[in-house]
Amino acid sequence: MKCGDAIAYMHEYLDGDLPLEQRRKLKHHLSECPACAARFQSMQHTEALLRAMPVEAAPADLTHKIMKSLPRTRSPKSWTTWVRRHPGMSAAAIFLLIMLSSFVAMWNQGQQLSLKGDDLEHVVVKGRTVIVPEGERVEGDLIIENGELQVLGEVDGNLTVIDGNVTLASTAHIAGKVKEIDRAMDWAWYKLTSWFDTLAYGS
Amino acid sequence: MRPMETRLARLARKGDQRAFAEIVELYKDKLFHLANRMMSNRQEAEDIVQETFLRVYKHLDRYDENQKFSTWIYRIATNLCIDRLRKRRPVYSLDAESSDHEGLDGYAMMPSDDRTPESELLLSETQRIIHETIETLPLKYRAVMALRYFQDMSLQEISEVLEMPVTTVKTRVHRGREFLRKKLEPKL
Ligand SMILES: [Zn+2]
Repeated sequence: MKCGDAIAYMHEYLDGDLPLEQRRKLKHHLSECPACAARFQSMQHTEALLRAMPVEAAPADLTHKIMKSLPRTRSPKSWTTWVRRHPGMSAAAIFLLIMLSSFVAMWNQGQQLSLKGDDLEHVVVKGRTVIVPEGERVEGDLIIENGELQVLGEVDGNLTVIDGNVTLASTAHIAGKVKEIDRAMDWAWYKLTSWFDTLAYGS
Repeated sequence: MRPMETRLARLARKGDQRAFAEIVELYKDKLFHLANRMMSNRQEAEDIVQETFLRVYKHLDRYDENQKFSTWIYRIATNLCIDRLRKRRPVYSLDAESSDHEGLDGYAMMPSDDRTPESELLLSETQRIIHETIETLPLKYRAVMALRYFQDMSLQEISEVLEMPVTTVKTRVHRGREFLRKKLEPKL
């Protein structure tokens, strides 16, 4: 065994990672090599001294100081924390919340026509009728409440008509789904909004 | 079963101050010992322990229960020590960043001259020499050596605290050990 290998073994030994077979080899080398034996003794000595360093306790008043230094109240679990902990859920929840709040806003607006969508530039509003003209293309979804919808052109997303009617011309093309909701009749819709009302207003 | 610290951390997160005080009681002496050995200064060690708990308190929401609480709290304390030591000796911090493959010579730090005398009184002559020698340990070995020898951590635990591979921790322990041995041998 070379002295260099023996030194590497010494460190492994002190790490507690030297297998039995290598331990035997090291022991054998130390019995033949005074330089390595002296080095090993010095290493063990250092090791023992380090471990024997006294543990000084923290000052007695430290706990008190620490507890006093803390902010008065821990801020309640923030929205962002919840988002961080539930990344998948939260995206869906935020979406649902936005959807619900916009619906509730519409509800509160009473019988007025309300129109929501990502791309309202390409629609024409006449009174309570919303028209997607022929040759026009609306990107994304359209949500219409309390009104008529006439589609002659293209809609790239879903169409939702609440308390209204939808007329599709032969030239119309809807990429997504068409959904008509009658709030008076639709049980699911009723449940959803009443649940949200309870949540939001505690009634 | 969850260890006690995780349970306490949960209670503290909900605003239970007594649970947090229990966490402080569990860790303050260990952290003080670590910081005192790393900083060689009682006052700074005390500041670091205080700052550690303040950070723990503020960031309880970020504690990931998949890791041990001790790993998390030691990481915060060690990082605070390293930051302070870097600020204390900006010239040497560059060296501390250098590769593990470089030699030991020339990387020793100057001992700090702001030690408080009362801490010296508690130590025997041998212990004083060791104390001073630890102060000359390059930063990158110091954290590893302090966790290994003054907190009795396994190499695996150290690698988790410092977020570095076990092989790097091992190399640093070996070099730190050689550094101390060479320095101490003529003195003892
Ligand atoms: Zn040899």
